[in-house]
Amino acid sequence: MYATVFISFIACSDEFTDSTLTGQLSDESLQSELGVNLLLTGTYSAMDLGDTGGFRASGDNWWQDAISDDAHKGSTDGDQQELLQLELFQWNTSNRYLIEQWTGLFAGANRANSVLTLISSIEGGPETFAPQFAEARFLRAHFNFELTKMYGFVPFISEQNYADTEFNQPNEVQIWDQIEADYAFAVENLPPVQEEVGRANSWAAKAFLAKAHLFQEEWSQALTIFTDVINSGPYELLPNYNDNFRLTGENGPESIFAIQFVPDGAASFNGNSGGTLNFPHGGAAPFSNCCGFFQPTIDLVNAFQTDGNGLPIFDRAGMPDFKNTYLVADSEPFELDNSPIDPRMDFTAGRRGIDYQGYGENPGQAWVRATSTDFAGPYLPRKHIWHKEDGANIPGSGRNSGVNHHFMRYSDVLLMAAEALVESGGSLGTATQYVNMVRNRVKTGAKVQAVEGSGDAANYVIEPYLTDFASPEEAIQAIRFERRLEFAMEGKRLADISRWGPDGVEIMNSYIEREKASLTQAAVSIGNLNNTFEARFRYFPIPQNAIDLSGNILGQNEGY
Amino acid sequence: MKKTFSKNLIFLGSLLFMSLAYGQTLTGTVSVEYGPLPGANVLVKGTMNGTLTDFDGNYTLSNVASDATISISYIGYKTLEIAVNGQASINISLEEDASQLSEVIVTGYSAQTRGDITGSVSSVDVSEAFKNQVVNAGEALDGRVTGVQVQTSGQPGQAPNIVIRGFGSTNSTGPLFIIDGVQTDDPNILNSINPADIKQMNVLKDGAAAIYGARASNGVVIVTTRGGGYNMDKAKISVGMYTGFADAVNRPDLLNVEQHAQMIWDSQLNSGVPNPTHPQYGSGASPTIPSTIQFTPDGVTANVTPGGTNWFDEIFKTALANNYSLSMQNGGESGKYFMSVNYLNREGIQAFTGFERLATRLNSEFKIGKYVTIGEHLNVSFSDQNSSNETEMAFRMSPLVPVRDTDGNFAGTYSGATGLGNPRNPVAELSRAKDDYTKTFRAFGDVYMEVKPLEGLTIKTNLSGSMSYFDQRRFFPLQPEHSESRPNNELQVVDGNAFLWNWSNTVNYVKAFGDHNINILVGIEALQENRIEKDVRRRDFLFETPSFYQLGTGTGTPFINNSLQEGFSMNSYFGSANYSYKNRYLATATLRRDKSSRFLGDNQVGVFPSFSAGWRVSQEDFFPQDGIINNLKLKASWGKLGNQTLPAENPTLNIVAVSEGGAFYAFNGNNPPTSGAELIAVGNPDLKWETSVAQNYGVDLAMLDNKLSIGFEYFNITTEDLISRDNNLISTTAIDALPPLVNRGSVQNTGFDLSIGYNDQTESGFSYGINANISHYRNEVTDLNSAFQTGYDTGRIGTVTRTQVGQPISSFFGLLIDGFDDTGRWTYVDVDGDGIAGNDGDRTIIGSPHPDFTFGVNLNAAYKGIDISALFTGSQGNDIFNYTKYYTDFPSFFNGNRSAAVLDSWTPTNTNATLPALSTNTQNVEADPSSYYVEDGSFARLKNLQIGYTLPNSITNKISESTSFRVYVQGTNLITWTKYTGLDPEIIGRQDDNATRSLGIDNQVYPLARLITLGINANF
Repeated sequence: MYATVFISFIACSDEFTDSTLTGQLSDESLQSELGVNLLLTGTYSAMDLGDTGGFRASGDNWWQDAISDDAHKGSTDGDQQELLQLELFQWNTSNRYLIEQWTGLFAGANRANSVLTLISSIEGGPETFAPQFAEARFLRAHFNFELTKMYGFVPFISEQNYADTEFNQPNEVQIWDQIEADYAFAVENLPPVQEEVGRANSWAAKAFLAKAHLFQEEWSQALTIFTDVINSGPYELLPNYNDNFRLTGENGPESIFAIQFVPDGAASFNGNSGGTLNFPHGGAAPFSNCCGFFQPTIDLVNAFQTDGNGLPIFDRAGMPDFKNTYLVADSEPFELDNSPIDPRMDFTAGRRGIDYQGYGENPGQAWVRATSTDFAGPYLPRKHIWHKEDGANIPGSGRNSGVNHHFMRYSDVLLMAAEALVESGGSLGTATQYVNMVRNRVKTGAKVQAVEGSGDAANYVIEPYLTDFASPEEAIQAIRFERRLEFAMEGKRLADISRWGPDGVEIMNSYIEREKASLTQAAVSIGNLNNTFEARFRYFPIPQNAIDLSGNILGQNEGY
Repeated sequence: MKKTFSKNLIFLGSLLFMSLAYGQTLTGTVSVEYGPLPGANVLVKGTMNGTLTDFDGNYTLSNVASDATISISYIGYKTLEIAVNGQASINISLEEDASQLSEVIVTGYSAQTRGDITGSVSSVDVSEAFKNQVVNAGEALDGRVTGVQVQTSGQPGQAPNIVIRGFGSTNSTGPLFIIDGVQTDDPNILNSINPADIKQMNVLKDGAAAIYGARASNGVVIVTTRGGGYNMDKAKISVGMYTGFADAVNRPDLLNVEQHAQMIWDSQLNSGVPNPTHPQYGSGASPTIPSTIQFTPDGVTANVTPGGTNWFDEIFKTALANNYSLSMQNGGESGKYFMSVNYLNREGIQAFTGFERLATRLNSEFKIGKYVTIGEHLNVSFSDQNSSNETEMAFRMSPLVPVRDTDGNFAGTYSGATGLGNPRNPVAELSRAKDDYTKTFRAFGDVYMEVKPLEGLTIKTNLSGSMSYFDQRRFFPLQPEHSESRPNNELQVVDGNAFLWNWSNTVNYVKAFGDHNINILVGIEALQENRIEKDVRRRDFLFETPSFYQLGTGTGTPFINNSLQEGFSMNSYFGSANYSYKNRYLATATLRRDKSSRFLGDNQVGVFPSFSAGWRVSQEDFFPQDGIINNLKLKASWGKLGNQTLPAENPTLNIVAVSEGGAFYAFNGNNPPTSGAELIAVGNPDLKWETSVAQNYGVDLAMLDNKLSIGFEYFNITTEDLISRDNNLISTTAIDALPPLVNRGSVQNTGFDLSIGYNDQTESGFSYGINANISHYRNEVTDLNSAFQTGYDTGRIGTVTRTQVGQPISSFFGLLIDGFDDTGRWTYVDVDGDGIAGNDGDRTIIGSPHPDFTFGVNLNAAYKGIDISALFTGSQGNDIFNYTKYYTDFPSFFNGNRSAAVLDSWTPTNTNATLPALSTNTQNVEADPSSYYVEDGSFARLKNLQIGYTLPNSITNKISESTSFRVYVQGTNLITWTKYTGLDPEIIGRQDDNATRSLGIDNQVYPLARLITLGINANF
């Protein structure tokens, strides 16, 4: 009897051994507007690379600044040693920073592909979901641009490749054409204004298309589009430089495209998780004591010094460092350097004696984790760190900051336009004008105030160039220098240095010599290392593991 | 053939004739210790005239010659021969047969005697094995069973890793457990059982496991628990208890304060700092040891302990162990039962850790009428575990820091200014976790009914199940003394339940006709497992007291860190047939067909056959019956087995998840973010089972009146369609989803198991035995559809293992150190010959975690009430990747403590050194994975020693005839012989998806303890 019952039980229920998906979305259930929007949101969410490697893969590209002349890795040398190796130009192909950033960016590109594939699989999808399709192509271009910037020769994974799970594609040629095509499609198909500010619009697509041309040194093509964005676009500079990093200026008219970081009271998943190490360290420091990474270089701070006319000093030969607290204990008295300095400096680097993000006077070494033998110096980062008064940027717990990361600000458009102008043999006068727009905003805008309320915290002096650049060479020098000052610690410097070719190599090697002269004790402890920036460092190596896993379909970049 | 048949016919006829001529009727009862024995075979010797005893043990034989001899036999009992001598009634009492060959071995859905087994089935000598005071019954396999490797953790309540005959998978390698009727691959189930309840533990290692088909390729461990006996005179009560203490076996050799200070100085000097300085040790030509920690926050004074704090002395403590168990069994004419209760409390050797268990069992069986038996097994247990492990911090914490400051608060590293680095105070961490727990409630067992409508025919239905519920609480308080104190306190509550059931129906027919014995079993089975879990967290609790630790009392926004609901189901048909002829020629065939929900379409179904045969040479007529060889059996088996245990329940489907952490985005630049989804796992609709083909060839030999027994088996197991995630398909240029599980290669395990036992008793009553076993396997990946696969990421130096063709699974991978250059830096072998030594291309295979062999030796002796037994276990030829060296041997975290190995660093006058010249930062990629980390992990240890004394009968008989009383002292892990420099050479690996590809990495292992206990066993 029971055997009969049993057999009929099994026989009647073929579904007994069916595979069931619990609490997840199946391929079928995604085929709807809801599904498209869910995957598209997931693609935007990937811009912070937060799912990939914690701080090693970071949408704000902080650790690339740490390789450049702008910043040190920070903390003690042994902590995240792989990044010190990158900083000291020991670029192993197995370095995890290299592979995790790479993996995170490809994941983003393929999340965009997942949207494109999904829309294409729905009947009439590309028409019904035209805006989403264009946004996905913009985002795919974004990830591919980031990859190309860093790794040079990367494969292009098309939506067809995605649909066919063919992720091992060759990287013999650069994929600029595909990047441009995606941006161009976005220019044509995105609205000029999006209801939600964080979404890509057609103006952003134009600006990035122009930037793609700029990176290929297609100067006039870049210039045409930049000029269109400047003349007809909706953007303008914020009155105060630092508002770009404060709640007041978030998504203001200067913002072209940014990661919308928001903290929340729980796990702050949507805060900047890649930057969690990059806070002052020490028991009394207000940022939960961790972890002392990402410190501006001595060389960067020096670069902010201005001459008697409020202009940058291109050649500092023979000048002492802007006075800093390297080897100065907190117990020792320290007087601030009163020489003229660009006001952007104290919005970029934290130093002893100056208010730090509204949390009061920076005490110096007490908030610095690095010791004198670490290759790090005395300065603290600022731009990505919330201000005490900007509650909406402060996570309820942890350090996932809500300060947006700008992929492009309007001042970037101005300086890129200026560069394209000069490089394409255009008007030096207009180029001077663009640079001066950037400098004048700083001149007229708010400055860091002394803690005791006695006015400016330092001797801030900045002036525009009073005469037009005399030559293309002079113009290029000024524009490049201005880029460093304007975007320091914003994850852009290494890409600039790389595209400047031999000039970039020269910038890096002269920096290393200067920095070792400044950080005397650290220089000794790292001194026996071979640290020369070589031409091959134009691009990161293709991670060895990526080549291995591709079955050698991927090839290595030149020089590795 | 025809001739033989007619011969037999004539023989049969003449027998009949004889019976008719001389017949008389003989009756009687066959009984055993507990009462009448139904089903015993009563045969007139030399005839075919025989019968089975009935339900009450009665038999009636007609036509018995008055000078005949009757033979009474029953499986598991000594066969008795009695001369009739004209009696009309003979009552017989059978004795249990202690000899191995007649032992009844539970091999799955049925049982066989040892002598008839043709597959590879090893049994644990339970009475010896549980002399070691195990927490998890699986530990009893350690050193006791050939071909089985057991790695145990010192963390009380952590299930051991059990690996049978090498690593036949790049996926899960744990065996299937059958506990009475319950099937599971969760080794934690053995945490719920009182070892004293276990009657038998058998391990199926080859094709014999094929009866469990798709779940059997890693072997099957069958656990049978005790039952009562029918018709017992009175209840038998057993009491067992022990109490004792455990301590750390080994403490690492780290620097004291003076050495630490000098190390800092030497490092700075070597790195070219002319005037070394340190926030604690001052500045100048030589360091000054401070009496108090410098740069502490206002109001905090922390005195440096003279010589420095030995953090291992601080985290280790003497741990108490207590165990009490009570069991009772009884049975009447129509029912029997066994019940037990057990309480175990085992503290860990790290402060505040431990495991507590309360378990009860009720096994009962009833006879209803003549043909029907129903019964059940039920085990209910509750356990509470605290599983902190702070060995990493104890290695890393500066010896300058005391445990507590002068106000009695925990001392720590305070801030960056102190130059003490960032380790957490391990005592503080343990202490703060003391109210954390993992509570598990588990009930499992089965209900069965057996019907025996005909002689030899048994129809059985068995419904078994397990339900478990766990509740885990962890609270993360603020750490005011820590230089990287967490910003918010946090409560984590994880709970879940798991439910599994299986229903099997079998028909078994046993028949003996003449010299032929058959045993046929067919069955059908359905099983299902389901699991749900959730992990909820909340921050910002106003009070850090345990009574406040509830999700509702936090002030932060709670969030769900993880939730899951998953399961699988299978249905199966199976059968086995045993045939033996004259007890000499034995053959078994089994076949199982499984259909699993984990696969799709045709791949859902797997068919797993096995065949085995044996030849008991010693039963042959030509074999001398009085020679030194008592038993000689040759056996061989071939079987196909499957593995469907996967790290995913739906590996065939693409899975897209709504993910707050990975896919939400705040389009408007403010909260709340918009919901998003991401592909989290790629499905592979073509996935199929991992299948192994296992061959086994063996010899069983008993000599010298069965005193010497030798078992030797050679095996060759080829596993195909190895399942693992395909990182080549979803490579680095793909999406951030889990790659699909694919069938991607083959691995071969070959080896041998050898066991030798010598057991004897002298006339004076001195009995002794030595039982040794040695197991060897050779593992080689023979095919892989990618260049290699890596293991888990260590977090600091990446992955350190590779699995690739031509090498064993999980070989260590890194640079090969050559020697020193003139400046005291390591030089590396230029493996790829590109002229640069020490770059990525020079990484190569630098060691193997697989042993040449493992062994166990058990010695026991008894004389006049005194008994002694000792177990030695060990492993030879395996390497360990001592990852701890990253912290202790290199300046990775400069201010932390170091191993004493750094005292032998290179200097111009010490060029034959252990380590390179001291420096303030790691030079020359010296902390990267290299041959320096790889150490010989061989060891031997005295695992168990027990000396007992049983009171003489003359004393215990005063209480009752059945009373016995034994007292003993026992020690676990008393002596260890090893060259390994880490805390413990027994490394239990991680338990995640990558575990099998990450073997032998010593990463924060909770070391085994030395345990000394005093105990008593009493029976009434």
